[in-house]
Amino acid sequence: MKDLAIGVSGINAVDNPGPGVGVARSLKEAEDLNARIIGLAYDAMEPGIYMDWVVDRSFIMPYPSGDGAAYFDRLAFIRDQQGLDVLIPNLDAELPLYLKRVGELKDMGIATFLPSMEQFKLRGKDKLAEVAERMDIKLPKTKVCTSLDQLIAAVDELGLPVMVKGSFYKAYAAYTTTQAVSHFHALVAEWGYPVIVQSIVSGEELNVIGVGDGAGGSLGIVGIKKISVTALGKIWTGVTIKHRPMLDAANRFIRELKWRGPFELECIVKGDDVYLIEINPRFPAWVYFATGVGVNLPARLVRHALGVDQPLAPDYEAGKLFVRYSYELVTDMVKFQQAVTRGEVG
Amino acid sequence: MNRLSQLALSDEGFVFDPQTGDSFQVSETGMAVLRALKEGRSDEETAQQLVADFEVSLEEARRDCTDFRGQLKNFGLA
Repeated sequence: MKDLAIGVSGINAVDNPGPGVGVARSLKEAEDLNARIIGLAYDAMEPGIYMDWVVDRSFIMPYPSGDGAAYFDRLAFIRDQQGLDVLIPNLDAELPLYLKRVGELKDMGIATFLPSMEQFKLRGKDKLAEVAERMDIKLPKTKVCTSLDQLIAAVDELGLPVMVKGSFYKAYAAYTTTQAVSHFHALVAEWGYPVIVQSIVSGEELNVIGVGDGAGGSLGIVGIKKISVTALGKIWTGVTIKHRPMLDAANRFIRELKWRGPFELECIVKGDDVYLIEINPRFPAWVYFATGVGVNLPARLVRHALGVDQPLAPDYEAGKLFVRYSYELVTDMVKFQQAVTRGEVG
Repeated sequence: MNRLSQLALSDEGFVFDPQTGDSFQVSETGMAVLRALKEGRSDEETAQQLVADFEVSLEEARRDCTDFRGQLKNFGLA
């Protein structure tokens, strides 16, 4: 295969890491791709900019807000200067813009492999009941609230404690009605309506990463358990597992929704019962875990996006351990200067 | 396939459940009981094996087997 220039965002490998560095590292390990990684950053301090063994060249991007004109102008500039064969956006906040203008990317000669806008909307927590039904798995008892009265009624009906969640982001446990009301106001102020109230299900928290081919087929899935997490709830150590009912549910998710692109399912499992907690329509930050056990999902996504034949998704072993660690690099201040003044490094 | 037969058991007594990712540490006796149960032996056969391998009465071995099975049940493994 010819050298591929692949744009990757989310290279903020900080204490709440974006998935970009894991995606880039996976692509670099797929030798057939000959990947040249173009990092798309939003801040000169994103560590991926300085990790030149993973990210070949980085560009500071405007925020993907408004109609995205400035963002797409910048992408066109990068394409003209560096070539840009494939783009893998990895941040939630970017996806609505990419999905709205996906046709333009195609016209620009940039391949992507993203869910449809309709699929993206299904990941909203107010839509999870529909998805859970189609996946034939359970959902914790859930109430969607658009007023304080509805919230109080929902807490009364579900019984304490409950989880109070924003439609797309943030979730808080509430042990009293007063706490629930306080979380409700904070979530409405930050994310707007609706707010979701959910009963708390006890059990093991398990996750699945995968990529759907958009026609009901799987490009690979891997199930894991987070053994330890940081104060921000991010995985620090984990282990691969084979919880058959959860993996079956993930395959039904791909098949029934004809899911297109990467995803992460967050589940709570109690015996054979699987409860759906959250769907993330992108790679999670621990994407390299799957690569490390032989299921290189970013590389498989790129091959599929470009129409390159590849073997069926490989299997993986349960009991493989993931250990995140901190590390430091020392480089010249010139790189930081270039990021700040020129908006590009590398 | 039953859960017990899926458990990975190392020679050092480290037990890994590939379905949930849980891990456990068992003693030498626990290892012997777990191996016997994984092989599908009955509690009585397992108790007799314990008597043969360890200095223990049949009555005590039966009690240990029952206790061990109870613990496995608590962990959802039996």
